[in-house]
Amino acid sequence: MGKQKEKKAIWGTTLGEFVQQQFVKRPINMVSLVCMALLALMAVIAPVLANNKPLMIRIEGKLHFPLFQNLSPADYCIFLAATVGFLLLLLIRRNHSNLEPSVRGAVLFRQLCLSCTIILIGSPLIFIFVPRRLEAADYKAMIAENKADYAVFAPIPYGYDRTDLMSRNLSPCRTHWLGTDDVGADVLCRLIHGSRTSLSVGLVAAGISTLIGIALGSIFGYFGGKVDFIGMRIVEMVMAIPTFFLIITFVAFFPRSLLSIIVIIGITTWTGTARLVRAEFLKLRKQDFIQAAVSLALPLRSTIFKHMLPNCIGPILVNAAFGFAGAIFAEAALSFLGFGVAPPTPSWGQMLSSGVTTTGRFLWWLTLFPGLAIFLTVMLCNLIGEGLRDAFDPRLKNAI
Amino acid sequence: MIVPTLLGITVIVFAISRIAPGDPVSSHISSRGEFDVKKTIDVRKERLKLYGLDKPIHIQYVNWLWRVTRLDFGQSVKHNRPVIKLIADRLPITLTLNLIALVFIYAISLPTGVLAAVKHGRFFDRAISVFFLVLWSLPIMWVGQMLIGYFAGPAFKSWFPPAGISSIYADRLSFFQWLFDRLWHLALPVVCLTYTGFAYLSKQVRAEMLENLSMDYVRTARAKGLPESAVIFRHVFRNSLVPVITITASLFPAVFAGSVIVEKIFSIPGMGLLMFEAVANRDYNVVMALATIAGILNMIALLLADIAYALADPRVTFEGNT
Repeated sequence: MGKQKEKKAIWGTTLGEFVQQQFVKRPINMVSLVCMALLALMAVIAPVLANNKPLMIRIEGKLHFPLFQNLSPADYCIFLAATVGFLLLLLIRRNHSNLEPSVRGAVLFRQLCLSCTIILIGSPLIFIFVPRRLEAADYKAMIAENKADYAVFAPIPYGYDRTDLMSRNLSPCRTHWLGTDDVGADVLCRLIHGSRTSLSVGLVAAGISTLIGIALGSIFGYFGGKVDFIGMRIVEMVMAIPTFFLIITFVAFFPRSLLSIIVIIGITTWTGTARLVRAEFLKLRKQDFIQAAVSLALPLRSTIFKHMLPNCIGPILVNAAFGFAGAIFAEAALSFLGFGVAPPTPSWGQMLSSGVTTTGRFLWWLTLFPGLAIFLTVMLCNLIGEGLRDAFDPRLKNAI
Repeated sequence: MIVPTLLGITVIVFAISRIAPGDPVSSHISSRGEFDVKKTIDVRKERLKLYGLDKPIHIQYVNWLWRVTRLDFGQSVKHNRPVIKLIADRLPITLTLNLIALVFIYAISLPTGVLAAVKHGRFFDRAISVFFLVLWSLPIMWVGQMLIGYFAGPAFKSWFPPAGISSIYADRLSFFQWLFDRLWHLALPVVCLTYTGFAYLSKQVRAEMLENLSMDYVRTARAKGLPESAVIFRHVFRNSLVPVITITASLFPAVFAGSVIVEKIFSIPGMGLLMFEAVANRDYNVVMALATIAGILNMIALLLADIAYALADPRVTFEGNT
């Protein structure tokens, strides 16, 4: 430990470490981060948590694992991506204690490339080698008929696309903890699977909008002058149409699938990030170290990505966190209006909309729980965003 | 500067409608179920000519724009009426709803914002900021659905009507009764529209107040021996109000967007519900008209905010800023 401290003293504190220290200081930040991680974990292992196939079943003395045999290749790809992502996080932690700050960037870049390669090669392999099996065997009936010796089911033993006309619109009871919806699917199960839709929309849409925002904002901010003027007019035009109106205008003309919704939300919400990055770049451009980079005739790529962009990473990250919340919100609103993903795919907004039936009945469990899920997720994102903002700029908090 | 922006809005809306796969004519034909291929192609060509869709895209745009400048957005397929008449019917309802909500937003958020700033760092301030964050994160569809379920249905209390903006017998009521009836119908939607804007605005007011409170002139005012209330209300509050004007303009889009969901939940026949129906029925003329008009209204709101800003703060000039 002593050696560690010595090293640290020589290296000094990097921005990342500083932000981390500030972030960890407030317990609410850590609580929301942990909750978010749990939510992500739930989304990743959703098919293991809630599935109508048993985890393990013993038929005539032989053990079977129907759940794992029935997972789709896409599920395995998600597992792979999540594992690689988690390992990458561990590696970054290790980098921070073992490597000098000056080489960290290059090492991290190599690790990122490596993990991307693993995912890119692994996913097609999974799709080739894992067959899509559709097994219609009703394991519950088997147990009822005493064909199987014993079975271990997932905690919520229902599929998200279950239809059971005998148990429609049940209020919460012991077999269905959060009740069932109008086709008899278990609400809790659909909630768990719905977190995948919400989180993937949030992640990818926020990613797209941040990337577009960074690209355009950095061009406007770096070149300034006419480019900036014309660019900002374009941004103003896009901003003039209310975001949600713009989104549903797109939705009216384009096919409604998960992918197109993600892309639509991504390409309509970049204006905030673009303005932010542009403002930061305009400020940075005047500073000495950028002048030095320019006068050294460094390539444009290097000036923008190595010298300027890392200096405005804070506001971008904070904005991305709020964008994440906004995208989840937008997706829920779209699904609520019926413009979202098609019904068998679970989505929180769509579940919420079935709470008031056309006959005027109010099924409170169909409204309360999905709404609560959206609310908590959005709230966590906002809390993390606020925490990050305070961590990046502690002066802001002290001043106010 | 406003003319190019308006043009830009129309370009965006037009572009969205044209890059989308498929064209309005084909969707018509396929829905009729005509199987004779040759005849279908002929019909399609004729229709394309009828709507001017056989011309190059920029000419189509100019034609469309020319019609838009005369407020002619074409016919609504679903309602079989000119789009502009539909909008003229619906716009006042949305504006009434949003203006009432805006009044409430201001009436609640100014005092709370000021109070939070004055009690900075104390319990009230902390509690209210947590409260704002919660309000800000509440999904509007959830709140609407819960309100309608609990207060406008047989499930719990039926204090409010669940849908529409007036009762069936509204024609026979005297003016005040009619007004009361209207307000009674609008109460829940207004609550829904108010709470998000309120959280946002209070936060901004608080931040502005705090920034002004740390200024030198406040110290001077206190040193003069002015009572605290005079310092707060006559000096700080007035100065903090100026940026709030610009924030109002940024509230507008949120209010418009929120109204799609709120109007859908409470079946209020306003712009939002029209947009919803148009998207659900793929009534393209209506969608394009609504997006354009919402953009233009929003631009006007921004412009008014800029003018109001200049009027309120004599230090702001438009010269040298363009």
